Amino acid sequence: MTAYPGRVPQQAYAWARGHPVMADGLLGLVLLACSTDQLRISPVTTALAAATVNALLALAVALRRRATVAAFGMVAVLGLAQAVFGFRAYGGAAVPALQPTMTDAAIVVLLAALAARRPRRESLAGLALCLVGSGIAIYGWAFARSSAGLLLLAVVALSATFTAAWVLGDSAALRRARYLSLEERLASAERTADLARTRAQAVEESAARLRRIERDLHDGAQVRLTALAMTLGEIKETVSGQAAPAGVLALASQAHQTAKDTLAELRDLARGIHPPALDRGLDPALHALTETSGMPVSLDIVIAARPSPAIEAIVYFSAAELLANATKHAGASRVTITVRSTGQGGVRLTVADDGAGGALVTDGGGLAGLRERVGTVDGHMCIDSPAGGPTIVTIDLPGHA
Amino acid sequence: MRIVIAEDAAIMRDGLAAILASRGHDVVAAVGDPDALLGAVTEHQPDVAVIDVRMPPTHTDEGLHAAAAIRRDFPGTGVLVFSQYIEAHAAASLLSAAPAGVGYLLKDRVADVSDFIDALTRVADGGTVLDPEVVARLLAAGRHRDALAELTPRERDVLALLAQGRSNAAIAATLFISPKVVEKHVASIFDKLGLAPSDNDNRRVLAAIRYLAT
Repeated sequence: MTAYPGRVPQQAYAWARGHPVMADGLLGLVLLACSTDQLRISPVTTALAAATVNALLALAVALRRRATVAAFGMVAVLGLAQAVFGFRAYGGAAVPALQPTMTDAAIVVLLAALAARRPRRESLAGLALCLVGSGIAIYGWAFARSSAGLLLLAVVALSATFTAAWVLGDSAALRRARYLSLEERLASAERTADLARTRAQAVEESAARLRRIERDLHDGAQVRLTALAMTLGEIKETVSGQAAPAGVLALASQAHQTAKDTLAELRDLARGIHPPALDRGLDPALHALTETSGMPVSLDIVIAARPSPAIEAIVYFSAAELLANATKHAGASRVTITVRSTGQGGVRLTVADDGAGGALVTDGGGLAGLRERVGTVDGHMCIDSPAGGPTIVTIDLPGHA
Repeated sequence: MRIVIAEDAAIMRDGLAAILASRGHDVVAAVGDPDALLGAVTEHQPDVAVIDVRMPPTHTDEGLHAAAAIRRDFPGTGVLVFSQYIEAHAAASLLSAAPAGVGYLLKDRVADVSDFIDALTRVADGGTVLDPEVVARLLAAGRHRDALAELTPRERDVLALLAQGRSNAAIAATLFISPKVVEKHVASIFDKLGLAPSDNDNRRVLAAIRYLAT
């Protein structure tokens, strides 16, 4: 892979996201480095105390994402202690170990973290605490200096800083929420696309499997049964010309007839599984279908390209169901079946009859089953069947599942 | 009869060959695909070829194409196509491409061995054989509904047998009536349907089939 400079910050962000304590620890160390001059305070015990305060502030920064509330609580306590005791506010001596340093920027960082990661209620309380603390600090500081101009500047600067930190954190929270919802939507869209793909696969595979079953029946059981019927026929004819034992001819005839009946049943079964004419396309298959309906059917098929086998099967079985409905229920005397290509390689099947009309989709009925079957490939079925007729059923299907 | 069998299922091919041989016919070749069939017909010039519709490579309608090609290139060889499924449409188009010396039967018909061999003989003699089921579908399809409605039930029976390729004598035997009565019925049918009368059995069969199929 070639080096691509645009990816460097991305990778850095990714690393920082993956290792929050390490990344924040580095930031804490930088802040801690800003207060190294505290080590020069004497005596050594005071210097160590000051260093401890600053180290705790830096530690809070390191933990800002791991334990946001606890870390904020710690800096708040330290900050308030500094505000109260770090200045010669109340005439007493300032505690040297609690004098504010650059490392106090940790408070700003933690407020932003609180606003970014916690509910608004908590972060607003944090902001209020910070403003109160800064008020106390400024009071002590101004008490030492007694300058009105500096006082105003300090008030504006500190409250602006804390407010800005809060706003920054809060907007980060909003952005994150938005990002998460987008991510969720993206994931759900991906899941939907995935489902659609696997469903299409399942539908096509099931069509292919049915076709295979018919082929297996044809090459296997049907052939053997035909050969058996032929042999029984030969036995029957041979026996009938001779003085065979009593009853043999009757038995042979019976066996012969049973074999032929079974053959016919098996053929109907196989055709119901997958009409073999469908292998040659909708045109021959629908012609073969209308031949058996016993009523005048006009067939009009104009399609630009063959749809997938699963779609062809749905068109075929839909036409068969609607044709049967027209014959059985509607008492139609004429049926028109039209198949046309639609945009994007889809097909439209229209079955119109001059029967009694009033066709309804009822639970468990043929039309409901049809609608379900059409729905498996995101097709649509529209039934126009006023009482008294005529009935026009239109089914729109995509070119493949 | 000298016969070539084209059927891709070995059990069926061998069984048929054995039965035909036992009835004294000469099965000169039994093959399993259209190319071998055309090769065998070219080599043996048989009286008739028995052809399964579904054969390799696509197992759809190879047999129909092979049958049409044989009728075109070998006038002395009749073709009897048999199919696991009846497609009247396919049968009618085969017959319109090659009207004589052609048969189309449901595969089950081999179970009635003598009838099957009778059909085979008629095809070998240049006659036409159409499965009763095909004829029934053509009659039910609704074409010429008004004209067919004018036929008496008896005339409809005669028309059905005629369209199956039966001769007058055979129709008479089947319906237990005299050939003279059959002759009368046929004349009446042709009159009602507006078909030109003919003395030739086969020509009448073809006229009847063509009328029903178009």
